[in-house]
Amino acid sequence: MAQSDLTRRTVLRRAAAAGVLAGPAAGLLSSCALGDDTSGDTSGKYEGTKSDKNPLGVKEDAPLDVVIFNGGFGEDYAKAHQAMYKETYPKAEVKHSAVVEINKELQPRFVDGTPPDFVNNSGAGQIDLGGLVAQGALADLTPLLDAPSLDVPGKKVRETLLPGTVESGSFDGKTYVLNYAYTVYGIWYSSKLFTEKGWEYAKTWDEHIALCKKIKAAGIAPWTYQGKHPRYMSWPVISTAIKFGGPQVAMAIDNLEPGAWTSDAMKAAAEAWHQIVKDKYILEGSPGLDHKQSQTEWCKGNAAFISCGSWLESEQKAVTPEGFNMAVAPTPSLGSADKLPFAAIRGTAGEPFVVPAKAKNERGGMELMRHMLSMKGAKDFTGKVSSLSVVAGAAEGATLPFGLTTAVKALADSGSNGFNWVYNVYYRKLERELVDAACGEFFSGRTTPAEFLAACQKGADLIAADTTFKKYKRSA
Amino acid sequence: MSEQTAVAERGPQAAQVDRPGQNVTGEPGRGRKALDGTLNVFSHAFLVVWGLLTALPLLWVVLSSFKDDAEILGDPWGLPSALRFDNFARAWTHGHIGQYFVNTGIVLLGSLTLTMLLGATAAYALARYKFLGSRLVYFVFVGGMMFPVVLAFVPLFKIVGGVGLRDTLPGLMLIYTAYSLPFTVFFLTAFFRTLPDAVAEAAYIDGCGPFRTFFRVMLPMAKPGLISVGIFNFLGHWNQYLLPVVLITSDEKQVLAQGLANLAISEGYRGDYSRLFAGLTLAMLPVLVVYAVFQRQVQSGLTAGQMK
Amino acid sequence: MRHGKYPLLAAFLLPPLALYGYFVVSPYAQSFLIAMTDWQGLSPAYEFVGFDNFKRMVGDEYVWNALLNNLWLLVLLPLLTIALGLFLATMLNVGGRGGRSTVTGVRGSGLYKVIYFAPQMLSVSIVGVLWAEVYNPRSGLVNSALRAVGLDGLAKVWLGDPAYAFWAVLAVMVWANVGFYVVLFGAAMQSVPRDIYEAAALDGSSRLNTLVRITIPLLWDTIQVAWVYLAILALDGFALIHVMTRGGPNFSTDVVGLRLYTEAFGDYKWGYASAIGVVMFFVTLSVTVLSLRLTRRERIELS
Repeated sequence: MAQSDLTRRTVLRRAAAAGVLAGPAAGLLSSCALGDDTSGDTSGKYEGTKSDKNPLGVKEDAPLDVVIFNGGFGEDYAKAHQAMYKETYPKAEVKHSAVVEINKELQPRFVDGTPPDFVNNSGAGQIDLGGLVAQGALADLTPLLDAPSLDVPGKKVRETLLPGTVESGSFDGKTYVLNYAYTVYGIWYSSKLFTEKGWEYAKTWDEHIALCKKIKAAGIAPWTYQGKHPRYMSWPVISTAIKFGGPQVAMAIDNLEPGAWTSDAMKAAAEAWHQIVKDKYILEGSPGLDHKQSQTEWCKGNAAFISCGSWLESEQKAVTPEGFNMAVAPTPSLGSADKLPFAAIRGTAGEPFVVPAKAKNERGGMELMRHMLSMKGAKDFTGKVSSLSVVAGAAEGATLPFGLTTAVKALADSGSNGFNWVYNVYYRKLERELVDAACGEFFSGRTTPAEFLAACQKGADLIAADTTFKKYKRSA
Repeated sequence: MSEQTAVAERGPQAAQVDRPGQNVTGEPGRGRKALDGTLNVFSHAFLVVWGLLTALPLLWVVLSSFKDDAEILGDPWGLPSALRFDNFARAWTHGHIGQYFVNTGIVLLGSLTLTMLLGATAAYALARYKFLGSRLVYFVFVGGMMFPVVLAFVPLFKIVGGVGLRDTLPGLMLIYTAYSLPFTVFFLTAFFRTLPDAVAEAAYIDGCGPFRTFFRVMLPMAKPGLISVGIFNFLGHWNQYLLPVVLITSDEKQVLAQGLANLAISEGYRGDYSRLFAGLTLAMLPVLVVYAVFQRQVQSGLTAGQMK
Repeated sequence: MRHGKYPLLAAFLLPPLALYGYFVVSPYAQSFLIAMTDWQGLSPAYEFVGFDNFKRMVGDEYVWNALLNNLWLLVLLPLLTIALGLFLATMLNVGGRGGRSTVTGVRGSGLYKVIYFAPQMLSVSIVGVLWAEVYNPRSGLVNSALRAVGLDGLAKVWLGDPAYAFWAVLAVMVWANVGFYVVLFGAAMQSVPRDIYEAAALDGSSRLNTLVRITIPLLWDTIQVAWVYLAILALDGFALIHVMTRGGPNFSTDVVGLRLYTEAFGDYKWGYASAIGVVMFFVTLSVTVLSLRLTRRERIELS
C-alpha cells in the first residue's frame, strides 16, 4: 500500500494549502456579485398615462411578473386575481410563478436588481421585511392606498380596509407592505368535544385551570403546542399580558424598551401560564412534536387546547374529523383588574404582499393589488381559501366554515379592544430564534417564569444593542 | 477483462470485495469456544438489528405511500388499510413528478457525460503529466471540496445570469458538472496514477499519439474507476437540491429533488402527505434499483478510490 | 517525457479549468471579499468594514455554541462510525468461523452489505423527514418499541429535549454513514492476507484481540482516510440538522453551518455569514491537516 506516488494524506494536505492561495487570487479575475451599478432605477420602468379608469398609470401592454408563495392558500386564488387584471388589461402578459422558498429564489433577483413586480413574501422562507425596508428594496404603497377602490364607489383603497391593516404594513410611518389575509390569534378547541363533555370555555384564568383539571381527569391532556416551534406559545402569554396591562405592554416590546419583557404584566402572565406546566397539563411529548404533528394530536382529541392563528382550520382540513367544529376564543382574563375585557383578541392583517422598489412594472404590481383589494377580488379570496381578507365587509353573506365563523364572531365581539404587536415583523430574529428558544425551555418545564422572561429580555437587548439591525418605532 | 488488469496492478482489494465467502482452511482456536459462541449469538443479533434499523425506515416510506393522510398522521406505524395507487397517480400528474423525471433525465444525461469527459481528461492530464503549476491546478480542483455551497449562491446566480443560462436546463448541466469536478478529478487522478506506465509506453512505441493513447488504451483501462465515479456522480446529481433551487425558477423546469423538497415544504402547509410519500417512493425506487444492479461496481469502485 | 504534450494538456485541461474557475472558484473567491463588507444581501449596496465581521464573531455566543457542537461532532462522529463500521465489517468479512476451520464472513453477508449501504443512496432531506417521524415522542418507532418491551421510563422526547436532541441527531448521522465504511473497511480487510487471520485463529486469539492487534494496524491507512472524511462531514452537518431540528431546542443542536444559513437567509447579514463561511473553511482546513498529523505513522512516502 505504500507504492503510490501520492498518498491521499498528502493530497488532502496540499489541497488545504492550495485552497488558501487559490481563493483570493481567483477573486481578482472575476466580476463580483457586489458593487455593480444599480442601473435601471426609474428610467427603465413601464409607465402609462393616468386616467379615471387607470388611476395608477399602468402601461397597458407591459408584462407583469408575479411570484406567489405556494403554501396554505395555494395559488388558485392568485390566478383568479390575475385573471381580473387581464380582464382590465387584455394586452398585458402575466407571468405567474408559485414557489415555496421565497428567499432562495428571490434574494438573488433582489441583489441583481431584477426583482419581480409583485411578491407574496410569506412562509418559512419569507424574506425579512425589516431588512427589505431597511435596504430600500420595497416600493412605497401610498399611491395604491390613495387610489380609488376598483368597485367600492367613492372610496379610496385605504378607506375600504379593516382597521390596523395599513399600520401592520408600515415601517416608521410609511407603508411598504400589504397584509392581505386577516388573521385571528387565539386558543382553539373542539366545540363538539366540549359539548359532549359538558365543558364550557373558561373566561378567567382560575376557571381555566379548574377546567384543565377536569379535562385531565377525563383522560385528555388539556394542552398541546407546536413543540418544535414553541413561539406559538408566546402568543397567548403576550396576549394575556396585554389584556392585563393594556396595549402599552405590546408597544414597549415592539419599541425594544428596556425591561419591556420583564414588566409587571409580563410577569403576571408568565406566572399564570407556568401553572399549566407545573400541573402537567401539557400533552406528554409535545416539545418533540412539530406543528403538524401536535395539531394532529389535537384533532385526534388527545389534547383539548392549542394556540394558533386562524389558518389552523385550512391547515388541518385533511385530518380533521367530521363534526369536530373547531372554535377560537380569546385568552382568559387574569382577573377583574385586567385593562382589556375578556373578549379582546389579537387580530391582525397577515400574509404580506410587496412590490419591489426596482420592479420594472411597479405600477402594474400595485394595480394587481388594487384588483385584489376590490370587493370582488376579496370575496373570491375568502370563497377559495376560507380565510378573511382585509377588505371590510367582504366576508358578509359568504358561507364560511365553522372555525372561521367563530373567528369572525370573536373579532366582532372584540371590537375596538382588539390588539396586536409587530416586533416579530420588525425583528424576525427576535421572535423566530430567541423568544422561540426561551418558550421551548419554559413550556417544557426547564425554566422558571423569571428565567423565561429574562431570556426573552436578553434577546431583545441583544437586538437593541446590535447596530446592524435597523430599529423601527411605533407610537400607535 | 479489463477490470482484472487494472485491479491486478492495484492490489487485490477491489476485486475481492464481493467474495466474502472465500474460504481458507485452518485450524480453529480452542478453549475460547464457549465465549466465542456467546459472542457469535450476540454479534449475529447485532447484525440483524442493524439490518432492521436500516431497512425499516425505508420500508416505512414505501408503506406510507399507500396510506391516506389520516393514516399517515394518525397511525404512522400501522399498515395501510388499502393499496391506494391513486397516490402515485396524483404524485405523477398533479405533483408534476412525471415532468420532474423528464427534466432530471435530460440534465443528468448532459451533466454526467460532461462531468465524466472533463473530469477524466483533467485527471488524466494531471496524473500522467508534469508541467509548471500542475500541482497548483490539482489542489485548486480538490480544495473545492471544503467549501459550504450556500456561500456561492448569490455570486453564482449573477454569474450564471451573466452568460444567459439562468433558468435553463443546459445551465444546470454546466453547474452540476463544475461542482462535481473536485471529487471527480480527485478520484480519477488517483486512479490514473495507479495505471501502469508500461502500457502507455507500449502504446506510444506502437505509434499511438497521446490522444489516441488516452482514448484507446488508458480510458478503457480506467473503466472500473469511471464506472464508480460515474455512479457516485449520478447519485449526487440525482439528489442535488440546493443548486437547482437557486438557478431554476420556472415550475416546468424543476428537477426531481427540488420538486420533491418543494412538495415536502408545501405539504407542511397544506397537507397532502400521501402524495408526498408516493413522490418520495417514486424518486427513491430508481436510485435503489440502480444501486441493486450496480452494487458490485458501487462498492468496489468506492473502494478503489478510497484505498489510494 | 513525450512530445505532443502541450496540445494534449491544453485540450484536456483548459475546458474543465475554465468551467470550474468560472462557476466554482470565482463565486467562492467572492465570498472572501463579501466577508469584509456589511453587505445585507437584498440590494447591491455595501461598505467595506475590514475585519469587523470577524471581531463580531468573537463576541457572538451563538457562534461559539455552534462551534462547540461541531467540535463534539468532530470527536464523536468519526469515533462511533469507525468503531461500528469496523465491528460490522469484521463480522461480515472475517467474523464467521463456520464449519470447523474457516475464516470467512458470516452467512448472508452480501445481503447485509446491500442493506447497510442503502441509506447512502438517499438524499439528506429524505433521511431527515424519516427520522423526525422515527423520533416522534408519541407515535415514533423508538418510543413505541421501548414501550412495547416495558421500558416506558426510557421513552424520551428525543428531539424536544436539549439533553437528548444532540445525541439523537448524532445517531442519525452514524446511521446514514456507517454503511459506507462497512463496505470500505470490508474491502480493505479482503486485502489483508488470509493467513494472518488464520494464524491468529490458530493461536486462539479472540475476535476482539484480532481486531485490535491485527485488523486495526493493518487498516490504519484506510481508517485515517475515513477519519478525515467524517471530520469534514462533522464540521458541516448542516443539511440534516436543518431538516430535523433547525438547531433547537434552545440551540442544543446548532452547528456553524446552520448559523451561516440563518445569518444569510434569515437575518440577511451576508457579510457576516460569509465571514462565518470563511472561518468554517479555515477550520475545516486546519482540522484536516491536524488530523492527518495526529494520525501520522511510519510510512513510506515517495512523493
